[in-house]
Amino acid sequence: MTQALLQLKDVSSGYKASLVLRKLSLSVASGEAVAVLGKNGMGKSTLLKTIMGYLPKASGAVHVGGLDITRHGPHRVARAGIAYAAQEHALFTELSIRDNLRLALAKESAFDERFSEIESVFPVFKTRLKQFAGTLSGGEQKMLLVARALMMRPAIMLLDEITEGLQPSVIERLAEALLGERKKRGTTMLLIEQNVPFALKVSDRFLILKQGEIVDEGSAKAATAVQRIFDHLRV
Amino acid sequence: MADVHTATLQTAPAPARQGPAKARGLLLLGLAGIALIAFGPWIFGTYLLNILIKAFFFAIVAVTVDMLWGYTGYLTFGQSAFFGLGAYAAGLVFTHAGFSISTALAALGLAIAGTALVGALVGWLSFYRGASPFFATVISLVLPIVLTQLLLSGGAWTGSSSGLTGYETFDLPLEAWYWIAGTALALVALLGWLIVRSDAGRVLTAIRDNESRCTYLGIRTSQVKIILLSATAVVAGLAGFGYGSFSGVVAPELSGFVLGTEFIIWVALGGRGTLWGPLLGAVLISVVSAYLSSSMPFAWQLVLGCAFVFVIVLLPQGLVPLLLRPLHRSGPGAFEPALIERIARPQTGRPAAAPALVLQGVAKHYGHLKVLQGIDLAAEEGQLVGLIGPNGAGKTTLMRCMSDGAERTAGGVNLCGHDIRTLPPEECVRFGLGRKFQNANIFDTLTVAACLRIAGTILERPSLFTRSPTLALPSYALEVVRTTGLAGKLSAVAKDLSHGEQQALELAMVLALEPKVVLLDEPTAGLTKTERTQIGRILSSLALHHGLCCLLVEHDLDFVQEIATRIVVLHQGLIVMQGSFEEVVHSDLVKTIYAGSAHAAPEAA
Amino acid sequence: MVFLLDWLTTAAMLFIVTAGLMMIFGVMKIVNFAHGALLTLGGYASFVVTQLRLDPWLSWPLALLAGVVVGCVVEAVIVRPLYKRPLDAILATWGLGIVIGQLIVIAFGRGVQFVDAPLQGTWSIAGLPYSAYRLVLIPVALGLCALLTGLLNGTRFGVKTRAVIMNEELARGLGIHSGRIRFVTFALGAGIGTLAGALITPLSSVDPDMGLPWLVGAFMLVMVSGHSMFSLLVTCLVFGACQVLVSTYLSPVLGGLTIAVLAALMLRIRPQGFAHG
Repeated sequence: MTQALLQLKDVSSGYKASLVLRKLSLSVASGEAVAVLGKNGMGKSTLLKTIMGYLPKASGAVHVGGLDITRHGPHRVARAGIAYAAQEHALFTELSIRDNLRLALAKESAFDERFSEIESVFPVFKTRLKQFAGTLSGGEQKMLLVARALMMRPAIMLLDEITEGLQPSVIERLAEALLGERKKRGTTMLLIEQNVPFALKVSDRFLILKQGEIVDEGSAKAATAVQRIFDHLRV
Repeated sequence: MADVHTATLQTAPAPARQGPAKARGLLLLGLAGIALIAFGPWIFGTYLLNILIKAFFFAIVAVTVDMLWGYTGYLTFGQSAFFGLGAYAAGLVFTHAGFSISTALAALGLAIAGTALVGALVGWLSFYRGASPFFATVISLVLPIVLTQLLLSGGAWTGSSSGLTGYETFDLPLEAWYWIAGTALALVALLGWLIVRSDAGRVLTAIRDNESRCTYLGIRTSQVKIILLSATAVVAGLAGFGYGSFSGVVAPELSGFVLGTEFIIWVALGGRGTLWGPLLGAVLISVVSAYLSSSMPFAWQLVLGCAFVFVIVLLPQGLVPLLLRPLHRSGPGAFEPALIERIARPQTGRPAAAPALVLQGVAKHYGHLKVLQGIDLAAEEGQLVGLIGPNGAGKTTLMRCMSDGAERTAGGVNLCGHDIRTLPPEECVRFGLGRKFQNANIFDTLTVAACLRIAGTILERPSLFTRSPTLALPSYALEVVRTTGLAGKLSAVAKDLSHGEQQALELAMVLALEPKVVLLDEPTAGLTKTERTQIGRILSSLALHHGLCCLLVEHDLDFVQEIATRIVVLHQGLIVMQGSFEEVVHSDLVKTIYAGSAHAAPEAA
Repeated sequence: MVFLLDWLTTAAMLFIVTAGLMMIFGVMKIVNFAHGALLTLGGYASFVVTQLRLDPWLSWPLALLAGVVVGCVVEAVIVRPLYKRPLDAILATWGLGIVIGQLIVIAFGRGVQFVDAPLQGTWSIAGLPYSAYRLVLIPVALGLCALLTGLLNGTRFGVKTRAVIMNEELARGLGIHSGRIRFVTFALGAGIGTLAGALITPLSSVDPDMGLPWLVGAFMLVMVSGHSMFSLLVTCLVFGACQVLVSTYLSPVLGGLTIAVLAALMLRIRPQGFAHG
């Protein structure tokens, strides 16, 4: 029940000559949600990109449910059941909302069924399927990202700062959507967040990344969690 | 730090061992070549001499193609056009005005002037700000096609498809032509060789490796390329002139793109970027083609084509270097200059009161997307300004607007009292700006010493034919080089350095410009703790002791706290706060921006 | 009137010749310098059909098939390894063009050949006789444009291809096998190139170098045009008009150069060409 679905062992990666992640090990159990926190430039986005296979690993291995995905390119990682929402350039701005959503599906025919599921969470898209994604507001774009990830019905969701720039009401809705998804399907999640309350609400566990290494971790529901995190993020 | 020094001392001797081996190999080759040229007429039969003379003229053009493509990175199919122009200069003048000393000189003048002009024109068309290398290559393909068409439609004047034949030309025996062509080739090869290994020649390689970095060092790369193209056009034209004068026949094929691509093939097979590889390749292939063209014309062309594709895909360095590898190991050579200090140039032409950097109402829009809005910022020398803000705040865009006049959509930027208007980076740099990029932006295939020397190009014109034994750097650049251990690695190739060393090298290069304002984009990215402390100390001293104005974008707030004299906070394209680190860090506004509503949480709990 | 027909048929020919190159350039961001050789290959496919005394209309599918097969091999063996070296990819495809050209010479000799046109004779347009085959090219070009636009916009493959064109990294992250898309696109683009060769051959002749004059013009058009098949059509109309004007009123030789020269100047002044800035 608590076996690791996503496992990183001694993973190092980076850009050209510089290593951003240094021998990082991390384990996420099936159905668990982990928040990855830390100041800017500490390697959080790099972590997700490394798991997705966008960056070559200088050392170490990544396993998803027993399958070794260390050498897999992004499309194979995605096909292994991982949905990734990047921080930037995560949507096809010149394609319609519908096209953006259907591209994520392996089977075209599943579109209607899956869309009707997420409709209730994101009613705003129902009548605007033909609209170009680039004309949506920042908040709506983030919502589209989450909708897309949900429609993929992935085993693991990797979310990179999806609350960035959103109003509190929208953030509330997103939190509910993610919690609902976890309850319904037991989706495993790894979220990068700057918004600490949101992160703690949605996750079971948090960890703090600094200079490409995990410097602290703990239960998101613990009373001391917020203070510990705040100490690390002290501006 | 002591370990670093001993480590570098140990690696230093190795490169020196390669030097003599390489020089020996080249010397042997050169001597063999000279012997063949001197004694050719007694060794080779008439038919072979004939072929060799033509091959030598072609080889001269191949050398120019290598300088343009192998060294400067400009893939050109068009050198044949200049060759043809030179040949037709001879053919046209001798056919229509007869042959005499004066017409020969006129023809020569026409060849030189014509090719220089066309070369400059093509250069203007191909090398400009933001030009794509594809485009330049396609233009180089258009040129010979246009020329061939013009020649074909020239009627009796140019002889159309049959060309011009039977005109009177220099009355010289075959042996004399052989010596002339051979000597010309040897001279061009020698000249080319001196230039590419000289300090100025390294600039060409720098342009090929990283043109953007060159512009941010103040080098007017477009100008350099246009001048190079014009010069090589003239050389190719002169070779064509020789060919036309020798053979007594000029045809449109001499200016066509088929010949143009043959040059590329010879250079690719011979080994681009080596000079002697293309020379050998051109001569050998021309000779073999001449012999085989009668017996198995199609098969030979097929073999060449296949070899070409094979080499491009699998052996990009070419065949000849591969075959001759036992003689030497390829590399830029073990030459290491001695480091000396350059006295910083006096401040001239700058109003004493003008602040180092002034931005007024600077804005940047992409259509509806407002990345920067109404930025007003001023910085003085001796200040170290930290620019902080969350991702997407517009920090890098702001840096771009400060260093490139064409970036911003509105507002004004003043560097040391000069308005940058819409000037490109190379001009902004000349006003006293230095910019260090986030990922180490250096010249991968050049040595540390070469990188540093090129960095000082606008201050000390590098020599066109020699390599200076000394490398002068301003005191603060020297400090960087010495404290980070680069002083012991002057002959190491830049891409072999560690990430921290590459960052240090780029910083030293930027400082070698003796800038008044230095922009640094995340200088600590990817550095270890020790390296970060080092850089921090260096940057502080730059501002405090040397009076530079530094502006750095940073995420590592601990680092910024140590060294910055002032903090500017950027959020969603606006400056929301300026002040000392203490003021900024403890303000509620900044906390909200950075930690979302994290600050609110402990209160709620 | 003749001018109008010349203009439209020239634009049609330009579009047909350039469409395949455009597909490859859009997705793979490289210019396939073997395109000229592919045109030649298509021409010789027509020649083979003529020699075998088969129905000339068969040359179209034969050429398409030949092109697709060659495209598959080329993409796998030459283009894919050079993904990170675009200038070398240009060179390698150029070398390939030479190899194909030589193979054609070995197989068919250097001579100029003629092929049977599927449609002979002339049609009467507004009282003027005009080559029937030439006129047929107009609906063919329009049909090709419609077909390709439909493919790119209407099918799942098309939307995946457009996704790869816009943002390959994002497409891969969604599970789209961009390598396969590039492979299919290249093969298709090559097939259309060969088909174009078969289409234009009946209007002139077949020789081993017939594709080369079209090469440079096609590149320039691709670089000037925007990103859709429709904008390519518009570009061909504009430049086709210029070419016909120059050919008719100045000289055919200069007409042949018009596209290359005009496009070069236009790109120098406005590097994005007809695309939205």
